[in-house]
Amino acid sequence: MTEPVNDIPEPFDEAEYRRRQRARANLMALLLGGLAVLFFFITIAKLTVLK
Amino acid sequence: MAHSLTHGETSLPADWRDLFALTKPRVMSLVVFTALCGLLAAPGTVHPVLAFSSILAIALGAGASGALNQWYEAGLDAKMKRTAGRPLPAGRLDPQTALQFGVGLAAFSVFLMLFASNWQAALLLLASILFYVFVYTMWLKPRTPQNIVIGGAAGAFPPLIGWVAATGSIAPLPVLLFLLIFLWTPPHFWALALFVRSDYAAAGIPMMPVVAGEKSTRRQILVYALIMAAAAIAPWPLGYAGALYGWTAVLLSALFVILSVQVGTRMAREGDTMQPEKRLFAYSIAYLFILFGAVVADHWWPL
Repeated sequence: MTEPVNDIPEPFDEAEYRRRQRARANLMALLLGGLAVLFFFITIAKLTVLK
Repeated sequence: MAHSLTHGETSLPADWRDLFALTKPRVMSLVVFTALCGLLAAPGTVHPVLAFSSILAIALGAGASGALNQWYEAGLDAKMKRTAGRPLPAGRLDPQTALQFGVGLAAFSVFLMLFASNWQAALLLLASILFYVFVYTMWLKPRTPQNIVIGGAAGAFPPLIGWVAATGSIAPLPVLLFLLIFLWTPPHFWALALFVRSDYAAAGIPMMPVVAGEKSTRRQILVYALIMAAAAIAPWPLGYAGALYGWTAVLLSALFVILSVQVGTRMAREGDTMQPEKRLFAYSIAYLFILFGAVVADHWWPL
């Protein structure tokens, strides 16, 4: 006779999942926005230096 | 509302703080500072936006190196008290995410350097990342007690990259600064290795105190400190730096050697708190910060 195996998965913490997803999405938006601004200013700076 | 998702099937997305920790922010601060000093000590002026972008690229490159190092060494980190709490050994981050993050960050840092600066600086940045990951982390570190001697070159790149980002070419002063960090690395890391020796032994990393013993390590700390002091002062008599840098280097290096003599001429006893070693380790960090600050101060406000 085999022992019943306790392989019932832990309940998924959906609130924590969504919180992390939201935090990463917000951070990614900020980083992409920052990069767009940085690349714009790099382009302007390079044009200024070339002049 | 569906609640069918399980831990077994879907893991939680990585927390951004764990991704940030993967970049070794404390190491990055020294990298950024020395790179900035290299850039500011270079002749001519750099557009502030391009200077900022170049330093950002170096910081991201250093972060990528740290992430790939932690990805590769997750198993070793789990065996050491000092590193067991890092995101990968602690199980807060999965290895695949860490690898993708590291490779992506490395590629982006080189691209940013190429875009903001020049191909020479981008090439040096790429070389420093590859050297740190493949030569130091994967090849030297698990095989030889000379790991941090040769691997020290990876940490010595930033001031050179900063200078090349500003000028597009290599000159004697940044090469001497490269040499300074290269020679500073062994006494800095061996002082640490002396007081976390059991950690390294448990992980099977052949650090000098584990392989060659305490006495030999202490003697080598002293020898390297003397050579490093000579390299630190060298830019002054060679005419690449002025008196402000020269006197700063003489005084700081003298103190470095005194602390190294204290470490080099003693042996740890039962229940030793290893204060001289901890003092040398802490001082070595301050030493590099102040000395590189002096390089910039000497360039901008010579005596």
